Amino acid sequence: MTAASAEILETLAGLIRQVIGEDWADDIDIGMETSFADDLELESIEFVQLAELLQNHYGKDVNFVSWLSKMQLDSIIGLKVGQVVEFVAQCQS
Amino acid sequence: MPILTTGAIDSHVQLMGEGSPVVLIHGLLLGSLAGWYFHTGPALSPNHRVILYDLRGHGRSERLASGYDLVTLAEDLGSVLEATRASGPVDLVGHSYGGLVALRFALDHPARVERLVLVDVPLPPSSMSEMKGLEQSGANGLLEALPSGLRDAIVGGGRRARRFLEGIDFLVNRSSLLTDLAAEQDIPDEALSALECPTLLVFGQTSSCAAVGDRLAAVLPRARLQTLPGGHFLPMEVPELLTRAIVEFLDG
Repeated sequence: MTAASAEILETLAGLIRQVIGEDWADDIDIGMETSFADDLELESIEFVQLAELLQNHYGKDVNFVSWLSKMQLDSIIGLKVGQVVEFVAQCQS
Repeated sequence: MPILTTGAIDSHVQLMGEGSPVVLIHGLLLGSLAGWYFHTGPALSPNHRVILYDLRGHGRSERLASGYDLVTLAEDLGSVLEATRASGPVDLVGHSYGGLVALRFALDHPARVERLVLVDVPLPPSSMSEMKGLEQSGANGLLEALPSGLRDAIVGGGRRARRFLEGIDFLVNRSSLLTDLAAEQDIPDEALSALECPTLLVFGQTSSCAAVGDRLAAVLPRARLQTLPGGHFLPMEVPELLTRAIVEFLDG
């Protein structure tokens, strides 16, 4: 993993902890392979909250919602943290 | 703008895009603005200012013990329009009971609504068999009405299931939602036939509400009926097809 990706992962993990709450997040090691649906058990309304936090943090250049809107529902459900890290990295490069 | 004071309550509101305003309204209990957020919202955002909000007691909006009748929910919609400064006539898109909120608002304020999209709305409002399952066997009865693939996405696992059941428990056992719903009267054909705005009706082929689509298509003066493969939960079952139908109607 590049230094840039590691930094994005750390930021993203912080935002995820904000969304799902420290109590729950404490038990989970958030890494590139962590799945939003299976491991983090994010509800769809929490996904909206995460999208908003990402937008606030990274600004308009990282359009998470537009990226997700091109995916099939199955792909969104199967999404892993690493895919979002790579997406953010691409937006920044 | 996540949480806004709309009228007397705190509502979770999300905005996307720029252009003429469109409001997307979700259905009761299982619904939240997330149901529109990932497909329909972004697809409309190039040409519209898309306004999404959680109904009272749902998603991240304030959990209120009462006010789930259509008149109050339509007033809430008015407060959301005011808080988001949506002036002039708006397009309203609603699924299930959210569609009835849109319909109620259009009947009460015809000059404020440009077009309507009603997705699998129940009429009379209390007639939905999916709700009967809820009354008979609680949240599990409601979940049984869902296609199995969706059930896991909503309640799979420990944390998500717990949060889901907490939300349902509040609405079912500690709010007036079911009582309000049961007391809601049918909208008479004479009232419906006075509705002038162009209306798209989208119904699921196997939905318990399918006959309502035929009735509305016959009674509403400017309505077109489109049927999609699926049941009552079209925004979750066939989000791409539903989104395409809505975009074609509003932008085509």
